This record gives sequence, C-alpha cells and structure tokens, in this order.
Amino acid sequence: MNSAYKLSNIKLEQQRKIILNIPQLTINSGQCVALLGENGAGKTSLINLLAFTTYANHGSIRLFDQAISSKLTPSQRRRIGLVHQLPYLLPGTVADNIRLALTLQGVKRTDIAALTLQVLNQVNLTELADQAANTLSGGELKRVAIARAIAYQPDILLLDEPFSHLDHRHVQQLEDSINHFAQQTGKTVIFSTHDRFQAQALASSTISLMAGKITDAPLLNLYHGQLNQHFFDTGKMMFHVTSTLVHARHLAVDPREIIVSPQPLQSSMRNNFSGRLTLIAEESNAIRLTIESAERFHVIISPEALLSLNLSLGDTVWLSFKSTAVTVF
Amino acid sequence: MNYFTDSLLAAFRLIISFDANIFRIVITSVTISITATLIAAVLAIPAGVSMALNSFTGKATLQHLLNTLMSMPTVVIGLLLYGLFSRLGPLGSWGLLYTPTAVIIAEAILIFPIMMNLTIAAVNSADPRLVPTLISLGARSYSLTVHVIKSIRYAILAALVIGFGRAIGEVGAAMMLGGNIEGFTRTMTTAIALETSKGEFELGLALGLLLLIIAFALNFTLSWLNKS
Repeated sequence: MNSAYKLSNIKLEQQRKIILNIPQLTINSGQCVALLGENGAGKTSLINLLAFTTYANHGSIRLFDQAISSKLTPSQRRRIGLVHQLPYLLPGTVADNIRLALTLQGVKRTDIAALTLQVLNQVNLTELADQAANTLSGGELKRVAIARAIAYQPDILLLDEPFSHLDHRHVQQLEDSINHFAQQTGKTVIFSTHDRFQAQALASSTISLMAGKITDAPLLNLYHGQLNQHFFDTGKMMFHVTSTLVHARHLAVDPREIIVSPQPLQSSMRNNFSGRLTLIAEESNAIRLTIESAERFHVIISPEALLSLNLSLGDTVWLSFKSTAVTVF
Repeated sequence: MNYFTDSLLAAFRLIISFDANIFRIVITSVTISITATLIAAVLAIPAGVSMALNSFTGKATLQHLLNTLMSMPTVVIGLLLYGLFSRLGPLGSWGLLYTPTAVIIAEAILIFPIMMNLTIAAVNSADPRLVPTLISLGARSYSLTVHVIKSIRYAILAALVIGFGRAIGEVGAAMMLGGNIEGFTRTMTTAIALETSKGEFELGLALGLLLLIIAFALNFTLSWLNKS
C-alpha cells in the first residue's frame, strides 16, 4: 500500500511552546483516518501541517513519497482538499466559491461549469448554487466547504472537526458527503474529532493525539496528574501502575480491560474502586458502561456480560483492573 | 458688515459664478492629487499585501521605517526632491523642477507609506482564515495577492480616499517643487497661501471653502465605505 503521508521528526513550536512532536508517522493512502484528541492536543495544527498551509520548525513530510522542500507544486496542491473547522467562504455565491477553487487549481475553463454542477449535486446543494455564501447555515456552510475542497478531485481530503456544532440531521448529511468521497478508490480522508464514537463510526483507523504527541493509549479513560513511584495521583484518586516513567503526566485505562462486578472481587488485581453506574449504552456490538467514582470510568463489555451481570442504573459496582491495563505517558 | 462676513459672501459669489480662475486651480489640484494617488496605489497596495503575507528578516525594521515615513514633514520631502530636481542636482537635466510632474512625484512619495501601512493593517485585520483558505485552494503568489486585495477591497478604497485627502491638502512640497505657477502648478493650497498674503482674502476663502467641501465629500465616502 502506498503512503499518502510520511512524517519524520516533526516538531512544531509556537511562541516557544511545543505544539507538535511527532518522531514518526505514516498514513497509508486509501484509508479513512480519524485524528482523536482533546481540545488543544494539536489536532488542528497537524491538519494544517498535512495541508501544507503551515510548516513545521523541524522535520520533513513526504507527500505520496515525494519530499516537500518548501512550497507545493500546483499539481501537488491539487491532490489535497482542506476543510477548516469554521470554513471561510469567499464573497459571492456558493457556485462562485466552487468556480474560484477550480480556477485557482488550474482546471480547464471549459470543464468548470460541468464540475461545479457535478460536485453540488454530489453534496445535495444544487438548489443553493446561487445563494450568497454569507447567508448559509452552519451545516450548509460545511457542506459547501467540502464541495469546494473535493470539486477539483483531490486524492486527500482533510477535515478539521467536521462534526462540531452540528445537529444530528446535518451530521448525517455530512457523513454521507464524506463517505461518498471516501468510497472512491484510492481516496484518503483524514478528519479530526474529539468524539471517540464519531471516529469509530466513520474511520478505519485512528490516531490519538495527546499534548502534541501521538499516543497508543485508548483515550476513553484519560486522567491527568502526577506519577509518584508506583502510584499515579490525579488529585482525586490513586492508581497503581507498573511504569517507572518519571515525567508521566497522563494516565489511560483500556476500557476493555476493566472488570465490573456487583461485589468486591478477591483477586490479585491492584486497582479496585467502587462507583455508581450512571449510563448503559449500546455501541457498535458492545455495551459501554459509565461509572461515577471519584473519577468517571468508561467500561466496554459484551452484551452477554451485561445480561449475566444483571445491572441497573444507580447500582453500586466494583471496578478492578491490573496495573498492566494502565498506560502512563 | 465686517471684513470677515463680507469676504465670506464674496467667496460664495465667486464659487456660484463658476469663476474660471478658481476652477482652473481646482482642476489642477484635483488632477495632480488623483494622479499621485493612483501612482502611489499601484505601488503601495501590492507592496503592502506582499509585506503582510510574507515574513522575512528585517520586516520589523521596515515597518518602523514606514511608520517614520508616515510622519515625515512634507517640506522635508520637498527639500530632498528640490535638491534632486534643481538644475545643479543629479536629476536636474530632466527639467522637472516647477512642473506638475515634480509635485505628483512628491505627493506620491508622501502618501506611499500611508497607503502601504493602511494596506498592511487591512490584511492583518482580515479574517485569519482567508489566506490559509486561498492557499489550500491553490492560490499562489500572484493570484493570492489579487484575491486578498479583492477580499479587503473596501479597506483598500478607504486607503485610496485617505491618500487622496492627504495629497490634496498638502502645501509644503507643492509650493517648493511646483513653484505656484498660475495655470500650471498653482494648486488650491498654494493659491490660498499666496492670495491671502496678497490681501485677496475672498479668493483664498473661496478656495478654502471648496477644499472643505472636497474634504467633506471624502469623509462622507469613507464612512459610507466603512458601513458597506
């Protein structure tokens, strides 16, 4: 499989603060990748680097196995479509915006009208073609921005938080538009989100960002605090961990590694907490439980396990997990 | 009636009667100022946009220099150009001294830093998403400049109006380089200075009133531009 992006030793600093630090990252082409992370984790910065609208202080990014020295060539630029979190539309109508993108990308004049119609049709916006761009609603704005980004048929579509601030109906329309693009062969979609479930619903793989670094840790049970020998103190709870990493500031617990029981368990597991069950939710063939202890825990169990545990909301349950289920970083 | 009100009435009469002498001066003034504004705009607007869009070493120094030039006294520009254009100066053979061209050059130099600074400010205060959006859509140096200018066109028009206002109200350089030659380089401001010292107060007052009307029209245009 070819790689769409190959990042090595990327460091991005702004005002002497390290925004991104990525020693190595490869994104294969033809994939739909979700970029997961909390606000301020560096998702937008990474998207902008991948779009080559900003450049890193150190390191290099290869685009389709081509080294990028300073600026993209017009043909390289045409392979990338970018949709900002709050897209900026230029003055004029919806169709004007799409025509401008096609003109700037050097599409033949004779093809512009046909391509404009085609892309508007693709995102179901034909009826808005002649509407002024500054009169659109949030959901329409995003779809116009997607239409503008895919009008010139790029190979990569980058979307920064495409689903934020949208209601359910617009999220679905947007998902359809993105899926329509992603299903074409060889197209790569990379979108950032802070919503883990949105990521799992749409993406074939995820990249988790934490304070500018890529982490393998599951981000569902994520806590911040300080490591003190074999204990990680979040201020509310103490976790037993095996790592001796001195500068670890974050801790994550794999939601599939937590054992839920109605009574305290007698076992060798070092982490045992009790809490109140506040949510039972179905999530892609599994059940997600939310348990409020001093910190909030998410646990993923099978539907069969839920049946045999015979749980109801408000119950007090015990959580147990090994120190090895915990990742500190 | 007293001297001031008598002169004011006489001035109104001169304006209403479309006094040929006065209107020749107004036309000279307006032509020189418009030409100077357009020349400065052609140079200052692209320069301002590219300075705002690019980062390079010495950018801060250049910005300081522009700020200094903005407050340069017009007589100093007049003095420097006088030295260049006078018969003994390095450009003396061009024969520019005491011609409208010399005044146009001086006024263009005077308003260039103002327009450039206003353009830089307009680009910097434009939507921060504008430039990354255009770049991601494939805009390159030339098309990027053109589309940035299009997006901030109202601020640029305001810069033109302010530049023109500065040029038409300028007196020091116009006097030193134009020489206040009747029907040739006599502008409204130099005429006011001359006529008043000659004792032709009503003529000076009539020109002053017209200058005020132009200033009012400019400000009106400016606030209209700001609204839209």
